[in-house]
Amino acid sequence: MTTTGFSPLLIARLLTKPSAVFQQLADSRPPAAEVFFKLAIWLGLLPPVFAYLGASRFGWNLGAIEPLFLPSPVLAGISFAYFLTLLFGFVTTALVSQWMATTYGARHSLGIHFAMITVVGAPLAVGSVIHLYPHVFLNVVVLVPALIWSMFLLYRGLPIVLRINPQRGMLMASALIAYLLVAAVSLLGLTVMLWGLGIGPRVGI
Amino acid sequence: MAAATEGHYHDRVVTVLVVFAMVWALVGLAAGVYVAAELVWPGLDLGQPWLSFGRLRTFHTNMVIFGFGVPALIATAFYSVQRTSHVPLFMPGLAWFVCIAWQVAILLGGASLLAGMTTSKEYAELEWPFDIAIAVVWVSFAIVFFGTIAMRKVKQIYVSNWFYGALIIVVAMLHIVNNLAIPVTPTKSYSLYAGAQDALVQWWYGHNAVGFLLTGGFLGMLYYFLPKQADRPIWSYRLSIIAFWAFTYSYIWAGPHHLHYNAVPEWVQSLGVVMSLILLAPSWATMINGIMTVSGAWEKLRTDPALKFIVLALAFYGLATFEGPMMSIRSVNLVSHFTDWTIGHVHSGALGWNALITFGTFYFLVPRLVGAELYSRKLANLHFWLALAGIMLYLLAMWAAGVSQGLLWLSLDELGELRFSFTDIMASMAPYYMLRLLAGVIFLAGAVLMAVNLFFTIAGRATIRVRPPLAAEPASG
Amino acid sequence: MSGLDLHRRLEENAGLLIFGILVVSAIGGLVQILPSLFQHSLSHPAENVRPYTALELTGRDIYIRDGCSTCHSQQIRSLLAEVERYGPYSRAGEFVYDRPFLWGSKRTGPDLQRVGGKYTDVWHRMHLTDPRSVVPESIMPAYPWLGERAAGASGDIQAKLEALRTLGHPYSDEEIAQAAAALEGRTELDAVIAYLQHLGTTLGPGDRP
Repeated sequence: MTTTGFSPLLIARLLTKPSAVFQQLADSRPPAAEVFFKLAIWLGLLPPVFAYLGASRFGWNLGAIEPLFLPSPVLAGISFAYFLTLLFGFVTTALVSQWMATTYGARHSLGIHFAMITVVGAPLAVGSVIHLYPHVFLNVVVLVPALIWSMFLLYRGLPIVLRINPQRGMLMASALIAYLLVAAVSLLGLTVMLWGLGIGPRVGI
Repeated sequence: MAAATEGHYHDRVVTVLVVFAMVWALVGLAAGVYVAAELVWPGLDLGQPWLSFGRLRTFHTNMVIFGFGVPALIATAFYSVQRTSHVPLFMPGLAWFVCIAWQVAILLGGASLLAGMTTSKEYAELEWPFDIAIAVVWVSFAIVFFGTIAMRKVKQIYVSNWFYGALIIVVAMLHIVNNLAIPVTPTKSYSLYAGAQDALVQWWYGHNAVGFLLTGGFLGMLYYFLPKQADRPIWSYRLSIIAFWAFTYSYIWAGPHHLHYNAVPEWVQSLGVVMSLILLAPSWATMINGIMTVSGAWEKLRTDPALKFIVLALAFYGLATFEGPMMSIRSVNLVSHFTDWTIGHVHSGALGWNALITFGTFYFLVPRLVGAELYSRKLANLHFWLALAGIMLYLLAMWAAGVSQGLLWLSLDELGELRFSFTDIMASMAPYYMLRLLAGVIFLAGAVLMAVNLFFTIAGRATIRVRPPLAAEPASG
Repeated sequence: MSGLDLHRRLEENAGLLIFGILVVSAIGGLVQILPSLFQHSLSHPAENVRPYTALELTGRDIYIRDGCSTCHSQQIRSLLAEVERYGPYSRAGEFVYDRPFLWGSKRTGPDLQRVGGKYTDVWHRMHLTDPRSVVPESIMPAYPWLGERAAGASGDIQAKLEALRTLGHPYSDEEIAQAAAALEGRTELDAVIAYLQHLGTTLGPGDRP
């Protein structure tokens, strides 16, 4: 009963009929492994693959400056690290969400949290097609609205998928957003610290 | 006036302060949008010195902090200290003086900044005549506030009052010490401190203005209004005690994290790092206290649009109080210092925490002050989404700009030479400044909706008179 | 007495609470600031450092008035790339006559701590009057009014030097007496340029980074 459309079609339906997708998830009990291997991992593959293709073809463009070309092995390594970071982020967010579920009286199965995070994060995964042209500003212009859309889906979808009332859903979604903000800025800080240690672009410090 | 309200809480002064806070909020936010636009189109100053970025930016920061923030704090302090003490305000005439004198100071002070009368010391730009005037008003505020507490009929001083009290005492100490100067003319003075010593004093002030005005004071707001809105007590009283004292002790030390790799002793910089990291604990303890208090009160969200703002404010409070210590670490700071990342951090706190919690508090407070329902819950909900969108766009644009700048300034090529010219890096920031302008417009639009909403809620109504509970009633704040 | 009981005492006594807050909040500032007020290197001029002349001081006060430190820092950090870009990193002894300090907290435009001597007076004249005439991508505001106003218009230069002398700046009597004359025939633009051309000139490329 669980394998109702854990496929790219689900994502297509998300774009046109989000409420229907949320309701479908609310009625299902997907196993975590199925969500992960049938959908999440493929969506997670999109950004690093697009990034690799774009950076190889066009180089990284930071605005009024010449594009930066890096050797293929280096790009492959960066893309792989990007993929691992996304997977790590996905799993930890789902685990944090599962941990919060107790406080808010929400469904507890890891599979449903995997499914919710996958579906809510889909706009960002799809929007990462803009990585095909790695101009930093263009990526911000596409991905920030995608992010706001994802946040909206989180607020709308969480109470339905996790079967709690809208008010408790709002609180839990806000707590999850607090976690995500902190995680995002930590990633920024960690990246910068790695650069300082010599892992990344050459900096004169 | 005192006779008419004898035996009742003095709430009209609260209503007037709230109205002024909203007016200055719109002025300050509009000024912010204008300076953001000037960074995209420099000709927007129309050749006028008083519209020039260097002066208008200072006008913006002062209007939002001292025009929007302080009246909001005074209003909520006056409202809550009466109710937690079960007595009307001590010396209500003086309270009115504080209200009116502060607005006059803001009006004239703002004009003086546009006229170029400035010390250039951040958030202490107003020159010495205003420093003295502000100190007089502040002492009056202290008298009314502590006087009310001294006259209280409730034995214990409630936690929100500790925070408002710390706001008053510490800001007074900071203001007096940092603004010590020799006046030369009515419009110009020279700082008592010079060079590196001035830097240390300024950032002791600057960081703690953020700490005790923008953080501490608003925590006072949180500790009173959140339990009121949630209709339950603060989740952990013990936690609030530890958090308060740890906060009051540690915040003061964090100033030197503004001076990493600068010409001040390294031990002071390092101390700044350590204490900034320690500060994370009491900050998050308070956030957890808030989240756990509200998590049991979810039913209120159905009927109360204000509570949504408080909940989101707690999330951004968590972000800002995490990001701050993180940015105070030297290896992060060497990329972030002097960049737009700092601006992003400031605004995630100023918009995400300060503005949102004030909005939520005002949406709750104003209907109660005038005994009417909020004019439009739909507008309030729309405001919520506009505020969230504006903040996220602002933050992400500034994170992208700041990290790019920081990295590119430090980038070397294989020969160990600078890879990029300053001008090229600066030019590549243009699109991010455009996005930030859009973010500001969205946020301002939300604030305008709120002003309209509150206007129609108040229009034609008088502040209702509320009596303090009788002595026999249990002390329930 | 347990901690909670002790705290109850504070919560029931406004005076104790006020005192407690004052003491606890004063500690950090005392520890971090007091020693610096007595530290030699922070308050004594480095080699060749002198107080600003009347014209330079006028220029500095205009720099403050028009908010230049909002976009320009004056603090070169002890980082390799920064020293390469701007020159020797900033020493505390260079700032002893800076009231207030102008290290800034944002670089929308480049750092100016060692801008002295890097550009000609003519370049500065053009740049301040219309930045885009020399740097097309610049977003700096234009300051056309500087060239139109007299440097000595406010007539307070003597009072300023006297005030600074009270604070310890070694101005001679003649310098103060001739201050107004030093500004005669000069515009605000002249003053700002004089100030900028002096910045950071006590240390040059030949010195230690």
